[in-house]
Amino acid sequence: MKIIKFIFCLVIFTACEDAIDIEQVGRITPELAFQSLQDLQDGLSGVYGAYDAVQDIALSSRYTDEVAVGIASGGQGFDEYAFQLNSTSPASFIFWSRGYLELNRVNRLIDGAEFVSPSADEQDRYNNILGQAYALRAYSHFKLLSYYSTDLSDDNALGVIAVDFVPTIDQFLLRNTNGEVFDLIEADLDRAEGLLLEERNTTFVSKDFITALRARMATYRGQYGPAATYARQLLEDYPLANREQYRNMFLDTDNTEIIFKLERTDGDSYDIASNTSFISSAGRAGGKFSFNNITPDGGVFFEMGRSLFNLFDEEDVRFEVNVSSSSVISPDYQNSTDFANEDILVVAKYPGSEEQALMNDLKIFRSSEMLLILAEAEANNGNINGTSNSTAAYIKQLHDARFTTEQPLPSYTNETEAFAAILDERRIEFAFEGHRYHDIKRLGVRADQGVLRDPLDCAFNGACELPAIDHRFTLPIPLDELNANPGLREQQNPGY
Amino acid sequence: MKTKSNLLALVLVFAAHFLFAQEKTITGTVTSAVDNQLLLGVNVFVKNGTNGAQTDFDGNYSILAQPGQTLVFSYLGMKSYEVVVDNRTIINVVLEEDIASLQEVVVEGYRTVGKEKSVISGVTVTSEALEGRPNASVVQSLSGQIAGLDIQTASGQPGANSLVQIRGVNSINGNTEPLFLMDGIPINEDNFRSLNPNDILSVSVIKDAAGTSIFGSRGANGVIVIKTKRGAQGSPFRINYTGIQSFSSLQGNDYNFMSAQDYLRLERERNVGRGASMTDAEITAQPNTDWMDFFLRTGITQNHTLSFKQGGENSATYTSLGYFNQEGLLKNTGLQRFTFRNNLNGNSSNGKFSYAANFTANYSKNDQVDDIGSFGVLTNAFFGAFSSIPYFTPEDYQGGQDLFDRGFNLAFTPLYIMDRLNTLTFLEEEVKIVAGFSSEYELAKNLRAKINFGGDYENTTILFSQRPEAYWSLLLADDGNDTAGFQDQSSIRDFSFNSTLSLNYNKSFGDHTLDATVFTDYFKAHSRVFGYRANGLDARSFFPGDGSGFIADNSDNDFFVDSANANRLDAGLFSYFGNVDYDYDTRYGISATLRRDASYRFATTNRWGTFYSVGARWNISNESFMENSAFNELKLRVSYGTTGNQRITGNDYFSGADLPFSFFGTGRGYGGANAIFSTQIGNNTLKWEEVTQTNIGVDFGVFKNRLRGSIDVYDKKTEGLFQSQPISLINAQSTISANVGDITNRGIDWTLQYDLIKKENLRLTLNFVGNYNENELSNLPSEIGEILGVGRNDGRIGEFKTVRYVGVNPANGNLLFLDGDGNLTEDPDFDRDAVWTNKSNTPDATGSFGFNFNYKGFYLDTQWNYVIGIDRFDGILEEILDVNLLGSLQISKDILNAWTPDNRITDIPSLDATNNTFDGSDRFLRSADYLRLRFLNVGYIFPKEFLKGTGLTNLKIFGSAENLLTFSEWRGFDAESRAGTRVYPTPRILSFGIELGL
Repeated sequence: MKIIKFIFCLVIFTACEDAIDIEQVGRITPELAFQSLQDLQDGLSGVYGAYDAVQDIALSSRYTDEVAVGIASGGQGFDEYAFQLNSTSPASFIFWSRGYLELNRVNRLIDGAEFVSPSADEQDRYNNILGQAYALRAYSHFKLLSYYSTDLSDDNALGVIAVDFVPTIDQFLLRNTNGEVFDLIEADLDRAEGLLLEERNTTFVSKDFITALRARMATYRGQYGPAATYARQLLEDYPLANREQYRNMFLDTDNTEIIFKLERTDGDSYDIASNTSFISSAGRAGGKFSFNNITPDGGVFFEMGRSLFNLFDEEDVRFEVNVSSSSVISPDYQNSTDFANEDILVVAKYPGSEEQALMNDLKIFRSSEMLLILAEAEANNGNINGTSNSTAAYIKQLHDARFTTEQPLPSYTNETEAFAAILDERRIEFAFEGHRYHDIKRLGVRADQGVLRDPLDCAFNGACELPAIDHRFTLPIPLDELNANPGLREQQNPGY
Repeated sequence: MKTKSNLLALVLVFAAHFLFAQEKTITGTVTSAVDNQLLLGVNVFVKNGTNGAQTDFDGNYSILAQPGQTLVFSYLGMKSYEVVVDNRTIINVVLEEDIASLQEVVVEGYRTVGKEKSVISGVTVTSEALEGRPNASVVQSLSGQIAGLDIQTASGQPGANSLVQIRGVNSINGNTEPLFLMDGIPINEDNFRSLNPNDILSVSVIKDAAGTSIFGSRGANGVIVIKTKRGAQGSPFRINYTGIQSFSSLQGNDYNFMSAQDYLRLERERNVGRGASMTDAEITAQPNTDWMDFFLRTGITQNHTLSFKQGGENSATYTSLGYFNQEGLLKNTGLQRFTFRNNLNGNSSNGKFSYAANFTANYSKNDQVDDIGSFGVLTNAFFGAFSSIPYFTPEDYQGGQDLFDRGFNLAFTPLYIMDRLNTLTFLEEEVKIVAGFSSEYELAKNLRAKINFGGDYENTTILFSQRPEAYWSLLLADDGNDTAGFQDQSSIRDFSFNSTLSLNYNKSFGDHTLDATVFTDYFKAHSRVFGYRANGLDARSFFPGDGSGFIADNSDNDFFVDSANANRLDAGLFSYFGNVDYDYDTRYGISATLRRDASYRFATTNRWGTFYSVGARWNISNESFMENSAFNELKLRVSYGTTGNQRITGNDYFSGADLPFSFFGTGRGYGGANAIFSTQIGNNTLKWEEVTQTNIGVDFGVFKNRLRGSIDVYDKKTEGLFQSQPISLINAQSTISANVGDITNRGIDWTLQYDLIKKENLRLTLNFVGNYNENELSNLPSEIGEILGVGRNDGRIGEFKTVRYVGVNPANGNLLFLDGDGNLTEDPDFDRDAVWTNKSNTPDATGSFGFNFNYKGFYLDTQWNYVIGIDRFDGILEEILDVNLLGSLQISKDILNAWTPDNRITDIPSLDATNNTFDGSDRFLRSADYLRLRFLNVGYIFPKEFLKGTGLTNLKIFGSAENLLTFSEWRGFDAESRAGTRVYPTPRILSFGIELGL
């Protein structure tokens, strides 16, 4: 056959083009990627698939005072534990690249949606898909800002590159200001709110996701008025979990307090052992602390930092949720002769689910965050003490939910002390959930706190403290971006 | 002239016989001066007459001639002999070999022309230089034989691929190997394990643009044209058998490994490991295992080829059967091969139509081990052979479960490897068929049409299994899975088809000859792959390659979920091109080629590339003013031209098949649901890498050709190198493939032969072949003009960047380095202090020298290969000088000379040096220059008289040695290998063979 064709194509030259007009099978061209509502639905699945939070969890634990080097450590993450951070660090690269990967997928979906004309009965679902896309675009931009902008409360400060389009490979853009990025975020959220169908949905974006994002964003920006309004709105629908519900929340069997979490399930693309050396790799959340499981023999390469452990009260349900019951706890650790072996504080927050060790859903918004936003808003307004509408009252409310018995109303002598209490409370409540790094940056100065490790945890490398004003609380733009886009060198964050 | 006289002879043979009265019958025999054998098929004819004859089996001829006429005896490869007929009726003639005539023709890819009329730079090696070599692959036998042809055989695994490069490295990420054509059919350049080297008649290497640009899209790295043997028309039936038995053994090393006793004493001194608490007597009593001896062996190779040749009036055939069985140095490895070839050629009785069909079908079985060259102490068998502690013994191995229970310990390396070799199966079976057909028809006077088409088909099945009781299976098993282990099987089918059609016009007008050809070339390749992995094996019923022991998936867990894979890729090229060649009086010639090529790989806008070349020659020796000079040949050649490389991402036709385009794909998304997402962002500006080459060469022969050879200088530049170029991460990736950067190769090739002794029965010829090449990078896609691992602008490719190691500080035994500014430091930092070294593992000079000696039937050939200007990191040396590995891996005795307060002047740092963990220095960067007796061949061809009555027509016995001697500073097992640390070393091979003909 080939021969006949060949001879034939000598006669008519163009017939030989079958040798060069080859389209490999199994590829979908961009024009054909989105043709039906189902394609959009699958595209949305791809968009969600780009979102991860274990890097946030690992960054906040290794670059702050949440963890200490574990018994099975082979040196994993030592650079990060020593606060080494520059434009070649995995931390610098991963949040930038992930953020723009998320945005790339979102923008391709939004572009692709234009090719689909939904029928009347498909319109709602079509809108709901688009609504989720816009909301996620806002979320990605906000996360990028939270890592790469020096000061979220300053709209004139440099933000990140706002990308609400599918870029081309010859585009080299400079950073927008925070104000410009926030304008885009607000517009996306407004648009999303008009499109979304669902009020609530724990594992997909709903209107409540938008409210929660707005609450957190306003808090990060220091706009406590709106922040409190959004937080209060959510607390009406999402009560604090009781102790049993709280335990189950981290086994992924209770959603009382969950406004939004990223689902992680057996066999999905994140159900893999994470590379342990750097924060940047994807994988099971618990894999950022242990190789195998949450026991002292489970390959613990990062354990709970002693300074964090010391904050816990054993009566607090959060103690058992965060500290593995099989941990080896030295009653007098400071005088221990073999501190490493006699004090093994295994992180228990990600024990595993669906019979897969270390694999858990990644909690993004919980109602306790809303409560603590209220506490923060009150502190900002000077209402630090009092039985209601005060920092103390909200802290007590949280304590009451976490303890078996009613807890005393705290009392603070000044605003600094109140902010310190909020910071400590967040440290306990959101331990290993990726908040600590941002919280020190936001509140550290007002709370007069920074990273503070137990001296025994940092004796080997001397990296015991990192003040809240340190430049490393803002990530550097990664070198890979600067290499391609040298104009950004002028806009590198201070200190790098 | 020779060709003409042969033609004339043919005409005369077929012409009618006109008898004259004075004619008488003259008879006699024709013998070869080379081996005293009677020659069959010698043309005997009367000069300027009409009578002609040929010699028969016994070299006898009979011809009618008149006294005073001249008889001409002519035979291919021999000098013509003329004798005037006198009153004799018996005239016996001895013909001498004509060395030059063997190289008289130049293979120019699509045609073969007389050497004088060729403008290209090319070298042909004939079967004589390839036969009798014990290498599985013909490519390995070419090493050192052709100037500018660099053969890197990284592995001694029987049947392993070699990397072949002509005149330097032309690409960083793209294919750097030449196009291989076998009887006009492009074949896979990475797979010669299934082809029988004994079937090969000649290998021609085409180097300059005048020769390669006609191959356009595929000629950028040069072209290697392989011709296989064929029968000669009008020749009798002949059977030939060649049998070779070879013995492969490990080449030596200078690592100075420790004995168990040395080792234990050092352990005691350092208070480490088993020796820590031993007495002298206990140490002496410990076993001392030679692990190299245990894992390696003297491999035996059998090689048999039986061939049949015959030619009728209008057709001829060549058929061969081959069996080859090579045991690897490493136990468990080997290659077994069955080969079959049938070549047929013929023509119509009027000579206007001719055809040739070449067919070879082969089957090979290649037993391998995995992970060779890796750092896997559990898997790389050469860890076991080279790095094991000698006080362990094979008896320490008690099975995988025992190893698992004892927990991981680096010192158990030999036991892990024993377990690996016991439990692993890695078998590649291959069927390879190369079939081609060509035919030529004389449409009109001077006008010929030719078609040449054929395909290369490879079907490889790979079996890879790991038994459930293997340590490695136990180690990786999930908790609760006690029947781990798996079996992979995959099938890879690659087929490439090529067809070339051409129309040639050739005409002479007086002193002018014009040759013009137009071509079209169509190429298509298909790759089909599928396979599975079965997880979970039941040890009781499992046998590699069989499924009885497979364990089915169950509802309790996912341990035994199997997986399947499949891949389907196509590739294609289409070209049309033309070549015009003009000659004036065999004194001046010019040749020009223009080619348009299209590749499936690029976007429509960049799909077509245009390549061209012009070449010219001046046959100075044919000028009248040269008539009485010492030069019997002197030719100046100049060429300039371009070629393209479309295989921009590497080593097969299919990789990087559609990089210009953006794609979406389907896969797993959120919560394991199906998803669709962007999988590739295309760069639609991608285009061909383009190589521009200038070549100036001289071919010469002086003193009646006693000294002959060629010298060529060249300058070759590849532009638009295919590399990763940074892009903004807003595209969700940090780099994209683009055409950026250039690489230039400049150098000189020389080939010289000198007949030191040239007597009737005694000849000694000296051979010198060499290449000097410099390469230089430019326009690299990096702001600072350097890329670690690639090199820097104006530097050589693969240049090493390291911190400079100076030596041991006599004051404290620490290592001393130079910082970036050249000051001594004990505390180097790679980023701050590393400098470019101007060293790389690409050599400056490669080549060989040797001699061919003949005395009557006895011969001795030698070939010494050399490589100069190459540096490699010696990873084994680094480990065996690292005292921290004491108790874990083998150590060198050199370490006993470490710095101590009493031994301050030494090159071994203190064993307690505080900075010996720094690994970014050039301390272990070593010269791998070498001089090696690559090949020695000695043999005897029995004289004809000896064979009388035996029925044999020829008998030859021979012995050869490959890699017999090596002189090098390199301390490892194989200076020649440029691969990593624990690779499969190439062996020393001793062979004995016999060749007999019936």
